[in-house]
Amino acid sequence: MNDRDDVDLSRVWVNVAAEVWRRQPGRLERATARLLRSPGLARALLTTPSLLLPWLIASAVVLAVGALTQVSAGQPLVWLLAPAVATVGIAYCYGPGLDPAWELSCTMPVSDRLVLLTRAVAVFAVNAALGLIASAATLGTHASTGTAQLTFGWLLPMTAACALALAVAVGVRSPFVGAGAGVGAWVVLVLGYGADHGPTAAGNRLSAAALAPVVADANLYLPCLVVAACCAVIALFAVRRPQRGLL
Amino acid sequence: MNIELTDVTRTFGRNRAVDGVTLEVGPGVFGLLGPNGAGKTSLLRMLATVLPPSSGTVRLLGRDPAGAAAKTEIRRRLGYLPQNLGYYPSFTVAEFVEYFALLKEMPSGQVPKAVAAAIERVDLGSKARSRLRTLSGGMLRRVGIAQAIVNDPELLLFDEPTAGLDPEQRVGFRALMRDLGQQATVVVSTHLVEDVGAACSEVALMADGRVVFRGAPEELTAQGAGHEVGDSPLERGYSAVLAASRKRVAA
Repeated sequence: MNDRDDVDLSRVWVNVAAEVWRRQPGRLERATARLLRSPGLARALLTTPSLLLPWLIASAVVLAVGALTQVSAGQPLVWLLAPAVATVGIAYCYGPGLDPAWELSCTMPVSDRLVLLTRAVAVFAVNAALGLIASAATLGTHASTGTAQLTFGWLLPMTAACALALAVAVGVRSPFVGAGAGVGAWVVLVLGYGADHGPTAAGNRLSAAALAPVVADANLYLPCLVVAACCAVIALFAVRRPQRGLL
Repeated sequence: MNIELTDVTRTFGRNRAVDGVTLEVGPGVFGLLGPNGAGKTSLLRMLATVLPPSSGTVRLLGRDPAGAAAKTEIRRRLGYLPQNLGYYPSFTVAEFVEYFALLKEMPSGQVPKAVAAAIERVDLGSKARSRLRTLSGGMLRRVGIAQAIVNDPELLLFDEPTAGLDPEQRVGFRALMRDLGQQATVVVSTHLVEDVGAACSEVALMADGRVVFRGAPEELTAQGAGHEVGDSPLERGYSAVLAASRKRVAA
């Protein structure tokens, strides 16, 4: 027998199959994996909308709570409780309620709570993006004010708060600390800048003809920038620390 | 020992699902038998670190899963197939197995080959790029087995793994279990006695949350001498031990 007779065909086939079935992560997934220091979390983030039933129900809950906050201007309690209701809804949809593989997810080294936080960011971020598109599309029509209020007063600030929570959670490897940071940021946002009307104070003044002054409204813009800056700093800090298994 | 349980109990309200179980299990295939409601799934969920015990101590792979760091390390070396595993219908077989390989924190470079090897081991190569919504129940079960073994785990927990498999697939799965058991500790919870007889080197029989028998399948078979209920010698042994346990409880 020579070396050529010793070829393990099943091993060769596995190598071939691995190449054929290999999924090439896109740029966004690779970048997200670096930011989150976990290819698994990046995959969870990007596949969130593909779990259709949880996605639809979570989006409906988020939009319904957002609509409730819009009709409750001037009631800080509603603003303070709204994120809790929305995140409980997301946690139910992507947790034991509707996620068919939830029990399995609970046995993974990547924390199931961190995965839920990632799902929350995805739900708010995609809905915020859709809200921005809808706001632009309805500009100049009667529907623009409500859409813009929901987007700028609820979806975007909540996306920022959830992103901050996720960034902190990834940075310190504790979803509880991350959630605390997100809650803290939200409370500061509501009590500091919108005690009368919540973060939608500027959103209330939105109209089709007055989008530009709102975007320039420092009362809403400044805290969002602060939250975004915090996210960026934590993300940079996280990327600088080497982590096993990065894409 | 990869599994060390000392006087472990788990209660749900007033119901004591697992009642003072003490067990040590090393490498090999270990069968967990028992009727419905005996506490097998609750015990398996504790071994999978899904549930903490209400009392008693659990050590897995030499670590106490109560600590966060130890739990993470155990989970990296764990494979688990739950009794009721749902699937993401829009994922392909390869995507589903890859997703859990990534959540198991496998190094990215190793993932494609590990995914391919796991899919081939459960004989699903021809379906690797098929969407899960297009597969039969038996195929989905094999996808579940593939995700469990993708990280080459040291501790494998299968809850009713052969449910939905046809006879030929069950024979293949038993061979796979024996193969896996040469390196790892494989715990198989089942109510199918023939699976245990064919694949397990050791077996524990649970009833009412307690382990009422532990030994080799041959020893369980020997318990059935003179007992009439059951179609095979092993089933008669299973039935005899259960009947004796119920008599003790009634007394």
